Amino acid sequence: MIIEINNLKKVYAGRTVVDITDLKFHAGETIGLVGNNGAGKTTLFRMLLDLIRPDGGEILSKSLNVASSDQWKAYTASYLDEGFLIDYLTPEEYFIFIGSLHNMSLAHVTDYLQQYMEFFNGEILNSGKYIRDFSKGNQNKIGIAAALMQNPELLVLDEPFANLDPTTQIRLKALVKNLKVTHSVTTLISSHDLNHVTDVCDRIILMEKGRIIKDILTNENTLQELEAYFSEKTV
Amino acid sequence: MLFTFLGHQWIAFTRSRGKNTNIVVQVIMGLAILYLLACAVAAGVFMGKILPAAFPNKDVIVVFNGLILYYFVLEFLSRLQLQELPTLSVVPYLHLNIPKKKIVGFLNIRALFSAFNLIPVFIFFPFCLMNISGKLGVSVALMYLLSILSLSVFNNYLALYVKRISMVNMIFVATGLFLLSALGLLEYFKVFSIAAVSNTVFSHIAVFPALALVFPVLAAVIFMVNSRYLSNNLYAEELSSGEKRKSSTDYPFLDRFGEVGALAAVEIKLILRNKRSKSTVSKGLLFVFYGFLFYKTQFLDKNQFLMMIFAAVFMTGNMVMLYGQFMFGWQSAEFDGILTSRISIKTFIKAKFLLFTLSSTVLTLVVSLYGFISWKILLIQFAAYLYSVGIASVMVLYMATRNYKGIDLSKGSSFNFQGVGATSMIMGLPVLLTPLAIYGLVNYLSNPFWGLAALGLIGLAGLFTRNYWVDILVKEFNKRKHKIAEGFREK
Repeated sequence: MIIEINNLKKVYAGRTVVDITDLKFHAGETIGLVGNNGAGKTTLFRMLLDLIRPDGGEILSKSLNVASSDQWKAYTASYLDEGFLIDYLTPEEYFIFIGSLHNMSLAHVTDYLQQYMEFFNGEILNSGKYIRDFSKGNQNKIGIAAALMQNPELLVLDEPFANLDPTTQIRLKALVKNLKVTHSVTTLISSHDLNHVTDVCDRIILMEKGRIIKDILTNENTLQELEAYFSEKTV
Repeated sequence: MLFTFLGHQWIAFTRSRGKNTNIVVQVIMGLAILYLLACAVAAGVFMGKILPAAFPNKDVIVVFNGLILYYFVLEFLSRLQLQELPTLSVVPYLHLNIPKKKIVGFLNIRALFSAFNLIPVFIFFPFCLMNISGKLGVSVALMYLLSILSLSVFNNYLALYVKRISMVNMIFVATGLFLLSALGLLEYFKVFSIAAVSNTVFSHIAVFPALALVFPVLAAVIFMVNSRYLSNNLYAEELSSGEKRKSSTDYPFLDRFGEVGALAAVEIKLILRNKRSKSTVSKGLLFVFYGFLFYKTQFLDKNQFLMMIFAAVFMTGNMVMLYGQFMFGWQSAEFDGILTSRISIKTFIKAKFLLFTLSSTVLTLVVSLYGFISWKILLIQFAAYLYSVGIASVMVLYMATRNYKGIDLSKGSSFNFQGVGATSMIMGLPVLLTPLAIYGLVNYLSNPFWGLAALGLIGLAGLFTRNYWVDILVKEFNKRKHKIAEGFREK
């Protein structure tokens, strides 16, 4: 078990946005988090990454509370939004900087980036632009590649498919599936795209107003089940 | 349509974040503006008395005539530095069904809403009405008014035009700077005098009032040039920044400091590559000329160092104070990324110290040139340097852990109060007053040189116990990091 969440609670202005009594993620699982806006997905991720202080409960990463220890940072990589990028650097500078935090040499980083040439589609490296001048989709790619480069055991991605072109979406899915097999990485993905989530993830967690209302292992009926839930919501 | 635009601008102004949240800042801003306006009005109303007192042997009118163009040359330079281009505000309208002409018209009108256009009215109009009309006649006085108003408008649009062009073309800026400094040198060596030219021009106007009509014509010409340029280049992309290839850079010198050095290198890039930080730091550099104001031989001879310490602390530590004032808000945009990355907070804090130490060291070396005035200055500045590095930096970072306001790096720094919170407002006081208090006390008890020694020793003590302070800062940071991150996320 890599993540254990106990009685986690977060309240904003009297409204409970996250309320999870008990939730466990096992090593090597690929978990998809789905739910409409305001379900609490991003807030949960932020608490998992110690960016927001929970109003109650705790999140244990390898049995250590993320709020009181820094250990989890060594094996956790994440990309939630552009707030994770240092936007006045060039992509190369950013990758080298992130690499240096994980004791990767320049050669190491360059080598790593080689394997993502396809993923970058020739638009990211040697572009002569600062990160802030890239499109949202390309910023997304930079963030995701930087997260993967850290060789994490736990990978947290918030809406990774948003803003990506179809080719890259398919490549990203292949990457995540591959990481599970080769490095048994635990991946947490939130997404509004039910097709993608059910395709990549072997476990789906459905949230509504901060609570977990479904926690299912993916099978051939999952997509229909989720579609049924979300179409009922609209009525 | 024009009024709709102006209405939107007004709404944008009143609803902008940071303006309606911080009443203290608003009040202080308001007082500062009132003070400046009051100064301008006073200068204008009493000019008839001030000029004869300042130049007793000259004719008042001659002095006044000389002053006019001189003022507008200086005003032009300040406009280049301070006046903001009102361009980005039109981006949301460009794709709508609004004719280009109207948008350009709006930009032109919007540009007139600047304090710069008000000040000459206050400074020059009273004198024209009270003195010129009495001595030279009402029609001449009216022509003076017309000339001054036109010059102000001319300056307004010329400054904006130059700013717009210079964003695209660096060579233009370089030539302009060269010409201006050449003019300044000529003026300095009395080869050429703006005042004399100004006096010639306006004494001719006194004789042939119709000559003044040349100024409105000039203003109209530059207005048209500016409008044409705008309507030909009304693309958000071209109005903002030039498309220059950006390259990766490296500071090998910082490599020896390991991870701390890497973080400091990133922060140096932050400063150099963003508008707000760049203008804050480059304006800070102007303070190295403070010495010319404060280092006076009569005080040096009498060993009265108090005000000189103030200047020395400000010069050696201006980066600590001016840049440190908004710490850690500079990094608000990527703050979540920093918190989740593998950087330990200790390293993060140490990198700030490295940055401060480097900047103060460089600044101290530069201002050592004042040593040519007196060796005592070197002592004062060295004590101030130790204080800036050892004590001021700790104070600044301690207060930074209580700053929850992010900085928008893409805006200029002049009159920009975004990100100003209670901490950044009061921060300067303890940092500047502490050295004065230390020196003042020891000077009172023994003598001025022991006062300097005490200041230096206290700074040195801070430097040697730095690890202790780093630990305290880390603790303070961890206590409030969620609140800081939350504040920074609010854009």
